[in-house]
Amino acid sequence: MRLDAKIPEGKLEEKWRNYQIKSKLINPANKKKLNVIVVGSGLSGAGAAATLAELGYDVQCFCYQDSARRAHSVAAQGGINAAKNYQHDGDSVWRMFHDTLKGGDFRSREANTYRLAELSAPLIDHFTQQGVPFAREYGGVLVNRSFGGVQVQRTFYARGQTGQQLLLAAYSQLYKMIRAKKVTMLPRTEMLDLVVVDGKAKGIIARDLVSGEIKRYAADAVVLATGGYSRVFRLSTLAIGCNGSAIWKAHKKGALFAAPSFTQIHPTALPQSSEAQSKLTLMSESLRNDGRIWVPTAKGDSRKAEDIPEEERDYYLERRYPSFGNLAPRDIASRAAKERIDAGHGVGRLKNAVYLDFKHSIERLGLETIKDRYGNLFKMYRKITGVDAYKEPMQISPAAHFSMGGLWVDYELMTTIPGLYAIGECNFSDHGANRLGANSLLQASVDGYFILPNTINNYLASEIKQASVSADHPAFAEAEKDVKEHIARILSIEGSKTVDHFHRELGKVMWQECAMSRSKVGLEKAIHQLNEIKEDFWQTVKVTGHDQELNTELEKALRLADFIELGLLMCTDALQREESCGAHFREEYQTEDGEAVRVDDNYAYVSAWEYTDSGFQLHKEKLEFEFVKPTVRSYK
Amino acid sequence: MKATFRIWRQDTPNGQGGFKDYEVDGLNADMSFLEALDHLNEILVLRNEKVVAFEYDCREGICGQCGVYINGRAHGPHENITTCQLHMRSFEDGATIVIEPWRADAFPIIKDLIVDRSAFDRIIEQGGYISAKTGTAPEANAIPIGKEISDRAMDAAACIGCGACVATCKNASAALFTSAKINHLNSLPQGQPEAHKRVLEMTAQMEKEGFGHCTFTGACEVECPEGISIVNIAEMNARYLKAKLFS
Amino acid sequence: MELFFRKSIIAATGLFLCIFLIVHLSANCILLLPEDIARELYNSYSTTLRENPLIKLVAYALYLSIILHVVYALLVTLRNRKAKPTKYALNHSNENSSWASQNMGLIGIFILLFIVVHLANFWARIKLGMGEAVGTDAFGYVDVYEVTSSLFHNIYYVIFYSLLMIPLGLHLHHGLKSAFKTLGFYHKSGLDLLAEVAVVYAAIMSIGFGVIPFIVYFK
Repeated sequence: MRLDAKIPEGKLEEKWRNYQIKSKLINPANKKKLNVIVVGSGLSGAGAAATLAELGYDVQCFCYQDSARRAHSVAAQGGINAAKNYQHDGDSVWRMFHDTLKGGDFRSREANTYRLAELSAPLIDHFTQQGVPFAREYGGVLVNRSFGGVQVQRTFYARGQTGQQLLLAAYSQLYKMIRAKKVTMLPRTEMLDLVVVDGKAKGIIARDLVSGEIKRYAADAVVLATGGYSRVFRLSTLAIGCNGSAIWKAHKKGALFAAPSFTQIHPTALPQSSEAQSKLTLMSESLRNDGRIWVPTAKGDSRKAEDIPEEERDYYLERRYPSFGNLAPRDIASRAAKERIDAGHGVGRLKNAVYLDFKHSIERLGLETIKDRYGNLFKMYRKITGVDAYKEPMQISPAAHFSMGGLWVDYELMTTIPGLYAIGECNFSDHGANRLGANSLLQASVDGYFILPNTINNYLASEIKQASVSADHPAFAEAEKDVKEHIARILSIEGSKTVDHFHRELGKVMWQECAMSRSKVGLEKAIHQLNEIKEDFWQTVKVTGHDQELNTELEKALRLADFIELGLLMCTDALQREESCGAHFREEYQTEDGEAVRVDDNYAYVSAWEYTDSGFQLHKEKLEFEFVKPTVRSYK
Repeated sequence: MKATFRIWRQDTPNGQGGFKDYEVDGLNADMSFLEALDHLNEILVLRNEKVVAFEYDCREGICGQCGVYINGRAHGPHENITTCQLHMRSFEDGATIVIEPWRADAFPIIKDLIVDRSAFDRIIEQGGYISAKTGTAPEANAIPIGKEISDRAMDAAACIGCGACVATCKNASAALFTSAKINHLNSLPQGQPEAHKRVLEMTAQMEKEGFGHCTFTGACEVECPEGISIVNIAEMNARYLKAKLFS
Repeated sequence: MELFFRKSIIAATGLFLCIFLIVHLSANCILLLPEDIARELYNSYSTTLRENPLIKLVAYALYLSIILHVVYALLVTLRNRKAKPTKYALNHSNENSSWASQNMGLIGIFILLFIVVHLANFWARIKLGMGEAVGTDAFGYVDVYEVTSSLFHNIYYVIFYSLLMIPLGLHLHHGLKSAFKTLGFYHKSGLDLLAEVAVVYAAIMSIGFGVIPFIVYFK
């Protein structure tokens, strides 16, 4: 299979314009006749559904939550980047593009990344007009802050609720179009399979989560906007319902899956406190501006933090990365924490955390300043842990956070199945091997609001000539039958272990072998273990209740079955990439002092996997760097 | 740690419901309340019983999906939190914990502890937006908005739509929710062209959904995870009056 | 429309009644003067009130306010009950709101009971001529003072009148704050001030009205 990214001609800054000039258009009267399915109602899904409806398409939008407003876009705290250069500090589209490409360790496409930066400015205009209460100066203009270690201030934010406020804007725009009867919203409805007719995506099979009914939905194009899949690690900063099922089903129906193993591990989450834990809450990265990270020098030191004298503390980030210190990028800070914890220096009841200490900052700046800067976060920390972090150090730990990988898409955001699009976190596109802070809300929004609505017409223009496929087509009947059999099979196992048991097992393997640090031996072992878990799951899982009712255990089981397979692909992908780049760190590829070694000669490509009966098959999309020469990232 | 969960079980929306007691062992103080329910559900699966249906998603206090009445309070015994932010250390070892679904005519029960809050979505549908198509926006800094106005809009906008205000209100009033959205949008310059229409239509929908009158008990602002003030309701009333008089 | 209209009627009539209570209490203070002065002043005052056409108009507004306040409170309560058909098995509403704010209807019933007795004691006797006939004083005024004074020499009435000023105080305290917000007063520091004013107002009203019967009794 030859992967054609369909990058338009011309200079970097002219590509998107050139694309739009050449893209086919559809007249308004014809748009009314076209029906688009959007799966997911987060920032990208809601933005796309609303915008497509405004353009005249008929849209059906699905989400598994009770309302479109719940999608996990709400959880992004920090902000959204845009190259507005409001601060007059030398920012530009080019600089933002360059930061993003470099932050991703040169494993994304130049053209896509440039477009992301290019469309960031009009996006801020759009959200402001929608009523997003971005932070402002007394004079009334918008405020920016710096984020994620870049040298300019380009992050817009709405208190600690940027994601929530952007999603509410998208959700309200979506409901405006629901009122206009251009969007049909189907909450509590989960996609369980993709329907492909004559090689093109023509609809989905979905389960009504309240009645349990399996229903068919036909359309002229299908857009997946289903978010990240880091719940494969079980413990992550994601919402509990986040899953990879929609993209996994699409993958099994022929869509290539790109760079599945590229997962960002965030360094400042709260540690796991018990086996029963379901979620790792993120503490804002901004804490690292004034907090110092350390572990006891002695292994297994079980003294209280306050009893450990200064000379017996190891400020390992400051020691290893003197110039960046506690502000080293996410992947590096996470990896360093894991290294110390694995070496036996972890703290806390389960010895799985490191200290984030504000003692020195409080002494230097005063308690009031620290309260003013981080008051909310300290309050949140206390709510969750019951500990007063003004008096003793916080305990933090790395947690799975973002999936850079996802369905392979071309410049039009179309997958390898014609008529199937993937937008937002569920695609592989702009972040390469590591995502910069405050770029996730940006990518989700830009994909949904600006890119997809401009590219989908290029495909639909040719579909208008053909009669729409109805849900009575045999392909729908067959997909529905498969889904029903799949459900029946899970319910019939009646084994002895809960779904959560298998999720914990899966999470342990993935976290140990396919997270911050990976090795050939470990990944091979993981693949073996995952196959065992998969086999065990299909023999001994137990799901109570039946399929014709609201059954949360069944929902979890269906998602987990896909997660196990996805985990296998992630390990397979990590195994083939014999280099260290961004969040992907292979122990065999490091310098003497533990820094990543990227191998551009052999691995400057996007791995894109095909699902076949005989296993996963690798295809490579070579990455051409026409405008920027890849350099080595160093934070020493 | 042990606890007895006294949980409302109801299989179908119109079915007969009732409390059932579950003695649960093996809990620990660091567990979140929802994790304790997860733990109960695992026990139930292994006992070949149907699990307790309850809602959650983000489990970090921002999505607004989790929400149950715990020991006589919306989201449990503490002020201004969501259910997922409640931990077992807030209860004594061996305590009996009573768990009920939100109660309101406009929030019908779907199953066990899950209720249907789509009435909120329909209120938003009637004007909880600013009509501006994608691509039509002016330059973001073209319309300056003073910090105080912007901050007040943000205070109101913080609502996460969990429904605790309705749940805790003895009248099942949705005034706090509706006023928060109206005041957020109507206080911004971008929201002005539709301001009167918005307040009239959204409140009309609120009424249609069967919510009760606001009698300013103030319970809602205590249980609201975002601490949204009931002053918002007074402000909505003023905006309503203005809209009635001038539109 | 309904949600706003009904509550606004209750709020507006309530505020009107609040003003009335100030006038009423001021008049009651006459009872604290030495008996001869009090009798003359009180009787002439009440006669003036009865005969002034403008005051008559206000009196009708007063009756109407009480009726509207009660009728709309009933309508509001009915809708609220419909909105919350099932109560919680366990509800600790006292932890997030005042008891009075949760029970304005119940408190209102006590006040209504009081008003009925109060009207029977005075209004029915003096204006409708029901029950024992009311005499005139030395100046030829209808001797309302005597009606009051004799009533408050009955310890049961004294206790009844005083005791029921407790629900009145609770009702006024919440009602005053709520009425302003219902009518759209949303000035933050103004509301903070109002909260303090409401305490003072409610205390003066309930203590004032509640203590006078005892003073008359022991006079």
